[in-house]
Amino acid sequence: MKQTIAIIGASGNMGSAIAKSISKGNYRLLLKGNNQASLDALIDEIKANDNTADAEAMACSTEACWEADIIILAVPFEAEKEIASKIKEVANQKIVISIANPLNKTYDGLVTAANTSAAEELQKLLPNSKVIKAFNTTFAADFSTPVIDGKQADAFIAGNDEEALETVSEIVSTAGFNPIVAGDLSVSRTLENMQLLLIQLGIKYNYNWLAGWKILHH
Amino acid sequence: MYELFFKSFRQKVPLSAEEETQLKRYLTPKKLRKKQYLLQEGDVCKAIAFIEKGALKAYSVDEKGNEHIIQFGLEGWIISDLYSFLTGESATYNIDAIEDSEVLLISKSAHEELLLEMPAYQTFTRLNITGAYLAMQKRLTSIISTPLKEQYTDFIALYPDIVQRVPQHMIASYLGLKPETLSRVRQKIAQK
Repeated sequence: MKQTIAIIGASGNMGSAIAKSISKGNYRLLLKGNNQASLDALIDEIKANDNTADAEAMACSTEACWEADIIILAVPFEAEKEIASKIKEVANQKIVISIANPLNKTYDGLVTAANTSAAEELQKLLPNSKVIKAFNTTFAADFSTPVIDGKQADAFIAGNDEEALETVSEIVSTAGFNPIVAGDLSVSRTLENMQLLLIQLGIKYNYNWLAGWKILHH
Repeated sequence: MYELFFKSFRQKVPLSAEEETQLKRYLTPKKLRKKQYLLQEGDVCKAIAFIEKGALKAYSVDEKGNEHIIQFGLEGWIISDLYSFLTGESATYNIDAIEDSEVLLISKSAHEELLLEMPAYQTFTRLNITGAYLAMQKRLTSIISTPLKEQYTDFIALYPDIVQRVPQHMIASYLGLKPETLSRVRQKIAQK
């Protein structure tokens, strides 16, 4: 059956990239964003690409998450606390995908302590939800170009619930990436640091925000 | 969001505030719009649904596309494809919302953990399943051995709320009648 996915922060770069790329899957998308004009444009674009796509704008995060089976928080780390307080009750037992990288203002470090991560902090705020780290090692531009230099970018997933990891792997595949389950939620610390490194390298070597990770193996 | 569930729970089994908090952790609140599916035939029924608000129906669809309603569900009722939920086999029923609805889902894993952890939930489940069995037995007896007119008057007496809220063609489907037959039955009753 079609699963309902709420994307909170859908008018942002990452949120809209995720929405577009998974709208080709068998999902019903409920999109909440702060910028109504970009949200409307996003929905028009999704429907123009595929008129059978099921996507609609929602005015309220709580309502969107209440209707949803799966929630994607495509908001900056700083905004998670406020949103978590709004959706805590309706996100009970649901998969909540944390995409945030808790970068500092100068992009040269993380604001989280070494013994935690954005995903683990979100799990503390939503203790009865199944928080899964995903889509944090992929840039927004990667979603329209998941195959870079002839190779499909890997996308790492971390979390504590087996079934939830499987469900999120399917979403990651739908988006065009190669899903790799990296481990339990504490592995998010490594994943968030990997993206910090990629951002720093991107700035240093001018990757132009189109870059990703690929594990080479036999 | 949880009010009716706990009220209905406590009507069956006493529950401490502590147990309520523990139980709440396992419930998945979900809002459905009118006509939206909760379950589709062929999928596995992964949760049972307690209806906090609204109305749902469980039904099978025959080769000609006709719906045969097995069960209605209103506020305070539980609806699921129990066979699929318990065995993990594909569901033979569809469940969808007749009105905009709010349900609390209890997933299979939550259900199993609660059964192990909480004696009150065990009792609650036993009472629900016994109740469902009795209702099914009654419904079966009614279908195989009661005259149509009586079936309908029994239904009205038993479920006055459903008659108010659900279109007649769905009630006909529930009673295994064609809508025309039901309207003839209703005319006869009205003439008396």
